[in-house]
Amino acid sequence: MTDAVDVNSADSWPDDADDVAEGYLANWFVREGSAVDAGETLCEIQVEKVSIDVAAPTTGTVAEIVVAEGDDFARGDVLARVQPSA
Amino acid sequence: MATESRDYTEATETDRELTMSRAMVEAIAWEMRENDDVFYMGEDVADYGGIFSSTTGLLDEFGRDRVMDVPISETAYLGAAVGAAQAGMRPIAELMFVDFFGVAMDQIYNNMAKNTYMSGGSFSVPMVLTTAVGGTYNDAAQHSQTLYGTFAHLPGMKVVVPSTAYDAKGLMHSAIRDDDPVVYMFHKRLMGLGWMPSPSGPKTGVPEEDYAIPFGEADVKRPGDDVTVVTLGLHVHRAMEAAEQLDDDGIDAEVIDLRTLVPLDTETVLDSVRKTGKLLVVDEDYQSFGVTGEIIARAAEGALDDLSAVKRLAIPDVPIPYARSLEDEVNPGTDDIAAAVRELHE
Repeated sequence: MTDAVDVNSADSWPDDADDVAEGYLANWFVREGSAVDAGETLCEIQVEKVSIDVAAPTTGTVAEIVVAEGDDFARGDVLARVQPSA
Repeated sequence: MATESRDYTEATETDRELTMSRAMVEAIAWEMRENDDVFYMGEDVADYGGIFSSTTGLLDEFGRDRVMDVPISETAYLGAAVGAAQAGMRPIAELMFVDFFGVAMDQIYNNMAKNTYMSGGSFSVPMVLTTAVGGTYNDAAQHSQTLYGTFAHLPGMKVVVPSTAYDAKGLMHSAIRDDDPVVYMFHKRLMGLGWMPSPSGPKTGVPEEDYAIPFGEADVKRPGDDVTVVTLGLHVHRAMEAAEQLDDDGIDAEVIDLRTLVPLDTETVLDSVRKTGKLLVVDEDYQSFGVTGEIIARAAEGALDDLSAVKRLAIPDVPIPYARSLEDEVNPGTDDIAAAVRELHE
C-alpha cells in the first residue's frame, strides 16, 4: 500500500515571499475522509495577506488534516496528507 | 410537527465545503459558461476579484469583455446595466457597498424596477444587482448598513439574502436565470474572507453540479417547539448560537432563515407561529418601518389567534457608530437574542 502524500506548504509559497517564513490557514474546504481529485483546491492559505489556493497533489482521500483552520504554520510545514487511490 | 430543513441536510452530505464567496463565484462561472449573454460589471471586479471576493478567478477564465471594471459612477454603470438587460443581455452589476445606492437610486428603483411595468411588458430587465451589506468590522455609518427594508419596500425588485454557501449558490443560479431584476445582498462577514473571519455557519457542503433554490422559500435552519425566531443574513448564525445556549436550559427555539425578502415566504412563518405562539424577529437593518415590523404585521394578519407574544431586535434608528463598543451595542448579538427568547418564553 502506497504511503500518504504530504501536502507541503512550501510547494504553494508565493514567488515574491522568499523572505516570509510564516503562513496562516484561512479555510479548509475538505474534511478527513473526503475524496479529492488531483488539482482540486484543498484549502486556502494566506502568506502576508496574499491568498493562495493549495491543490491536492494526487487523487485520493484526505487521510489527515495537520494544520487546523485558523492556525499559523511555518514554511515547510505539512498541511495535510492525502492517501492516493489505487 | 416541524420539518427538518431539507436544504440544510443536503448541504451536509457532500465531501467538499466552500466559503460563501466561492459558492457564489461557482454559480456565476457556470452561468457565464452556459450563456454568452451573462457578464459581470462593477468596481474592482476584474483584476482585484471583488473587494469581498465576489468575482475571484472570473477574469482569468472569461477575460475583460465579460468581467468589466467600471468607473466610480454608480448611476452611469448601473444605468448601463439596465440598458444592456433591456437590449437582451443578462448583466450582473455589483454595487460595491449597498450604502452607495444613494447616488444611483433613480436607475435602480425607477428604471430597473419599473421599466417592465411601465412599458406594458414590452421588455424585461433580466439583471442581477449584487451588493455587499452589513457591519461588525468598524466601517461606520456609510459603509456598514444592510438596507434590507429599503429594497424590500419598493416595488419591482426581488430581494435575496443568503446566509450560507449552499443557499448562496442555489440562489445565485435562480437570480441569474430570472428574467426580472433581482437584488442579491451578500453579507461581508459571511463571505469567508481571510481578513474578516466569518462564524463557522456559512461554510457548508456545496454540490458540484448546478442547482436552483426557488425564491419565496424560507428555510427552517433549526426546528423547535417553544419560540419562533425569524431572521436573515448574519443573524441566522447568531440565532443558531443563541439556540444552542437556550437548548442547555431546555428552551427549544425554531430558527427560520428567510433567504428571500421579496417574495417573502409568509406561510413558513405562520406555520411556526401557529405552533409556538411566540415570535422574535431579528434584523440588522434599522428598526422602524422595516423588516421586523413587516414580519410581525404578517403574523398578526395571518395568525392573530395563535400569537401571544412578539419581540423584535434590530439596529436602533441611529447611524451606525464607528467606535467598536458603540457598534457592538447597536447590532443585536447572540446574547441579546438568547435574552429576548427567554423573555418571550416566560
